[in-house]
Amino acid sequence: MTDTLNLLIGIAAGLNLLALASSRLPSMIRAAALQGLVLGVLPLLLEDDWSVLLVAMAAGTALAKGFVIPSLLRRAMHAASIDREVEPLIGFVPSLLLGALATILAMLLSRSLPLLPEHSRTLLLPGALATAICGALLIMARTKAISQVCGYLVLENGAYLFGLLLLRSTPLLVEAGILLDLTVGIFVIGIVVDRIQREFDSLDTRNLTELHE
Amino acid sequence: MTAGWLLAGASAALVTAGALAWRWARASVAATLAACGAAAAAALWTLTGAGTWDWQPGLALGGQPIHLQLDPMSAFFLALLATVGGAGSWFARGYWSDRERGSSAARGRLWWAAFLLSVGWLLLTRNGLHFLLGWELLAITAYFLITLDRRDPEARAAGWLYLAASHTATLSLFLFFAALASRTGTWELGPVRDPAVAPLFWLALIGFGIKGAVWPGHVWLPSAHASAPSHVSALLSGVAIKIGMYGLFRFSEWLPLPAQAGWVVLGLGLASGVLGVAFALAQHDLKRLLAYHSVENIGIILIGLGFAILARQYGQPAWGNLVLAGGLLHVWNHGLFKSLLFLGAGSVHHATGTRIMSQLGGLWRSMPWTASFFALGAMAIAGLPPLNGFVSEILIYVGLFDAFASGHPAYAAVGSAVLLGLTGALALACFSKVVGVVFLGAPRTAAAAHAHEAGPEQRTAMAVLAGLCVIIGLLPAGAWPLVAMVAAQWQGQPVQNTPLLLTYLGSLHLALGCAGVAAAALLMARLRRVGVRRAPTWDCGYAAPQATMQYTAGSYAATMTGWFRWILRPQRHGEPVHGIFAQPTRVTEHTGETVMQLAVEPLARAVLLLGDLARRMQHGRVQAYVLYILVGVAFIAALALHGGAP
Repeated sequence: MTDTLNLLIGIAAGLNLLALASSRLPSMIRAAALQGLVLGVLPLLLEDDWSVLLVAMAAGTALAKGFVIPSLLRRAMHAASIDREVEPLIGFVPSLLLGALATILAMLLSRSLPLLPEHSRTLLLPGALATAICGALLIMARTKAISQVCGYLVLENGAYLFGLLLLRSTPLLVEAGILLDLTVGIFVIGIVVDRIQREFDSLDTRNLTELHE
Repeated sequence: MTAGWLLAGASAALVTAGALAWRWARASVAATLAACGAAAAAALWTLTGAGTWDWQPGLALGGQPIHLQLDPMSAFFLALLATVGGAGSWFARGYWSDRERGSSAARGRLWWAAFLLSVGWLLLTRNGLHFLLGWELLAITAYFLITLDRRDPEARAAGWLYLAASHTATLSLFLFFAALASRTGTWELGPVRDPAVAPLFWLALIGFGIKGAVWPGHVWLPSAHASAPSHVSALLSGVAIKIGMYGLFRFSEWLPLPAQAGWVVLGLGLASGVLGVAFALAQHDLKRLLAYHSVENIGIILIGLGFAILARQYGQPAWGNLVLAGGLLHVWNHGLFKSLLFLGAGSVHHATGTRIMSQLGGLWRSMPWTASFFALGAMAIAGLPPLNGFVSEILIYVGLFDAFASGHPAYAAVGSAVLLGLTGALALACFSKVVGVVFLGAPRTAAAAHAHEAGPEQRTAMAVLAGLCVIIGLLPAGAWPLVAMVAAQWQGQPVQNTPLLLTYLGSLHLALGCAGVAAAALLMARLRRVGVRRAPTWDCGYAAPQATMQYTAGSYAATMTGWFRWILRPQRHGEPVHGIFAQPTRVTEHTGETVMQLAVEPLARAVLLLGDLARRMQHGRVQAYVLYILVGVAFIAALALHGGAP
């Protein structure tokens, strides 16, 4: 069980790096979507007795993170008719290296944290840290709004992984709340993307500096 | 219980005064006066031994139970508030009238009532949170009073500076009260015996010191007092800065003090005294000069308080009571004569349109009442017998001499007495300059020549204050029991009966006063008999003297300001005359506010620079904002991992 779990988390961490390294927006969205799908399965692995609620939550998460949000993003991408991150703030190779560094640091850091014995053998915590930092990196390194939304998605996946640590003590309803937050956030960003596009004829968030007083 | 009803009546009257301020000016002022009368009656009731009034209605404000108490210490300051508040509001009817000032006069009445109410609340409340509430209200209402003349940019700038300084003080007091509450476990104020709270006194000293215009926390005071309307200056100087003194007296009574507290208070007092009068000497603006004298007199009060704290440390209540009573009485005295002087200066400004002393002159002839009251106030503030200033100062002097004789802080006592003497001498010189330049001689400008006497309201207000100065001067033994009651509360033990000194002093003053009046009457009679003949003064053979050849304020004080060049740092503009047949030239000298220029402004510039740097971080780039978050989270994580371990 732990091995499968660690394998899936490892895949998720690998997808972080894929998202950081891809210059084309569709592949970045695909990486984020795949990551959401992988993570959606995790609660089923962590819990031994599957309740209806648990299964429904896992399915809902996988559906939302793996299909609904990515398809919204794809639509926004088509509407804005761009599919490339042309001029990233941090280049693709340096961001890849930074992401790798963050993953290693997360591994090292989680060793020094006082964890419950049943968590200490899983990669849940380092995976969560690495995913959250990579998400933040993605937001920092990219200029197009859609790439940044992907960054937020990845960041949320990290937070979701953290949440899995507390699966026993946190009701799934809280998870549902987080997911709802995210969906609303994506909607808002979708609207913002639309407005930026109309205002500046581009999705470069650097244009937003023109708005500050 | 009577005190309670009187105070309730006073608050109700003040609320009415505020409500009537816009439409019914006369009724509003009448209500303010009634409130002041009731508050003064309640205060005197307590000071004459009616006991402490304590009221805990079981109501809460801001989550804290309301607890009001009128004990002798509160009553002492409340009496001053009521006196100056009443006199000022009556003065304003003539000085800041609706006819001349329009809506500003109405706003003045409203804020005046609000100010009196908040200070009254501040004096009576026994809860730290409520104290801060009153403190903040005091700062805000005073700000609106200073900036009553909104169109005057100087007044706006002065109000702004006052507000900034006031909030620096508030910050310190927030820390003080919060730390005190966390230590004692309650916001209720009262005597604390826990020696661990002693260091908190420094916070109180900073907060109350800035409010009380203790040097070097006085930077806000000169401009605020100079630019505010004069009745407001009187209230600020007579009452607002005394609230700082109230805080110091109050918390030095209630809290255990650090060992050096007495010395530090004494040092601040000496610095305020000497430097305050030195700066006053260098001023050209009449009201700015008076403002610096407030710093000086606060210094005298602090010398009294500082030695009282030392006396408590050395276990010497005998002379400790004398200096304490001197300091306390000087709170009243300064409140009275400084308000009188500000009202006089306001009348002069009202009559001539200028506050620059060298543009005045010869006003005694055109405004004899104002000039007489002002001269009386000047005598009082210079500490001349037979007036009240002399009474409080001699109490401090005698206390210092006794301290010297008792041999405990002997050298400090002698040194302080010498510096106090220096302060008094310089104050005398300064007020001889003011009275000489403003009221004597010939008018220097057309404005001064066409001055008119102040109106009846202004004169009555000044007469009341002057009368009180004279009464305390002639009956010092009568004032002693009131002050002794407060001193006994501060000391926590009864204070000796009226010292023989004051009884003698009273008779002496009475004799001196009678002699003075008789001499004046004699001179008057002679003058009537002989008649007045006007002729030029002795003119060194130059036959065409002009009014501008008289001593100016600057030239009169030049020698003395020369001694203090190192701190006054005067700036001279223009070329002095050279050679025998000199070309016409123009020399002006300007003395800035040294603490402001050397300490506050560089500090403010540094803060602004930091602020600009910080503002650069706010540039609108989302990417960098996320980086800030990440760095912040990493920092907190590092803190939790390494710093948080016990």
